Amino acid sequence: MNENETELKVQSLVDGELTGREAEELRARLESDAGLRTLHARLTVMRGLMTGAELPRTLPESGDFHWSQISKAIEREERQAKHLARPASSANWLLRWVVPLAGVACLVLVLTMKQTAPPNLDILLGSDHELELSVDDLDVMTFNTGDDAMSIVWLDYAIDLQQDSLQLWLD
Amino acid sequence: MPEEPAYSSAEEPQLVEWAKLGDMQAFEELVARYRDRIYVRAYSIMRNETLAVDLSQNAWVKAWQRLEQFHGEASFPTWLSRIVTNLCLDELRRQKRARTDSIEAMEETTGPVENRMEVETIDPVEGLSRGELRERIDAALAKLSDKHRTVIVLYEFEQLEYREIAEKMGTSIGTVMSRLFYARKRLASLLKETLKRDGLIE
Repeated sequence: MNENETELKVQSLVDGELTGREAEELRARLESDAGLRTLHARLTVMRGLMTGAELPRTLPESGDFHWSQISKAIEREERQAKHLARPASSANWLLRWVVPLAGVACLVLVLTMKQTAPPNLDILLGSDHELELSVDDLDVMTFNTGDDAMSIVWLDYAIDLQQDSLQLWLD
Repeated sequence: MPEEPAYSSAEEPQLVEWAKLGDMQAFEELVARYRDRIYVRAYSIMRNETLAVDLSQNAWVKAWQRLEQFHGEASFPTWLSRIVTNLCLDELRRQKRARTDSIEAMEETTGPVENRMEVETIDPVEGLSRGELRERIDAALAKLSDKHRTVIVLYEFEQLEYREIAEKMGTSIGTVMSRLFYARKRLASLLKETLKRDGLIE
């Protein structure tokens, strides 16, 4: 054990952190080592000086103001917690469920069409780069440009326009 | 109409129970009783009035949120003191991360040569009241680095064991012992200087 370790052991003894055989051995060593005894005495004095030495202070703001800040913070945090815990609003519900479901539905639709389209659908060539697919309730149009290596897939639901709404459109 | 409880004369455990049931007035009474004590602990660690106020306010908010976790193993102010101490340590860690160059690293005890320095002898000073001595100790504490002051506050004032300090500070017990030893030596030296300057010792 080097000198530094011994000093730390003496400190542990003063602090009551050294117990049992180790403490007994160190106490025996203190008997014969004046230097360690002095260190032990000085550390003991320091401990004594520090006992209850924390300077009392008064909060530098009024008690009422301090409480108002605390109560406001508590209310704010409780509001936030309630907001997170309460059932989602219609907008949140839409975002949380409808959008992912719509995404999944689109994906399923595209995959289904990919598998079934070539053999089952009536394919009309609109131009050199255009394919038109006809399904009862859904129009699917793809546009391919070989030069840009780009494909656009356009999905369109049929809208049954009433006469009056058609009139509005025409107006 | 039921009579309102007498908060100011209620015992602490009763106030805690009421507060646990959501009684804000009971909690307000607890704040009134211990606000200075919690502020003092925050100030002892941070040495900054504004930060100490903010952290003690946060500690009270956390205490309210965690009241269910308080089962009376320690006293209520001791439990609160642990909360504010943890918040202070978090703040010191945040500040440390924000600092690119730490002066403290230079002050850290690493070698046996520095550790061989003797702890100064401070004899109890006659004629110096406990209050005056406290003020001098407080001034000396202010001159310690954050790490050394924190370890002193946690050991001497918060009365934690080495192991608990090591856990809170995220370090080893050996480092805690070393920091405590160095902090005491530095404190003794600063204290001796102050007392000499004031003509209280030769």
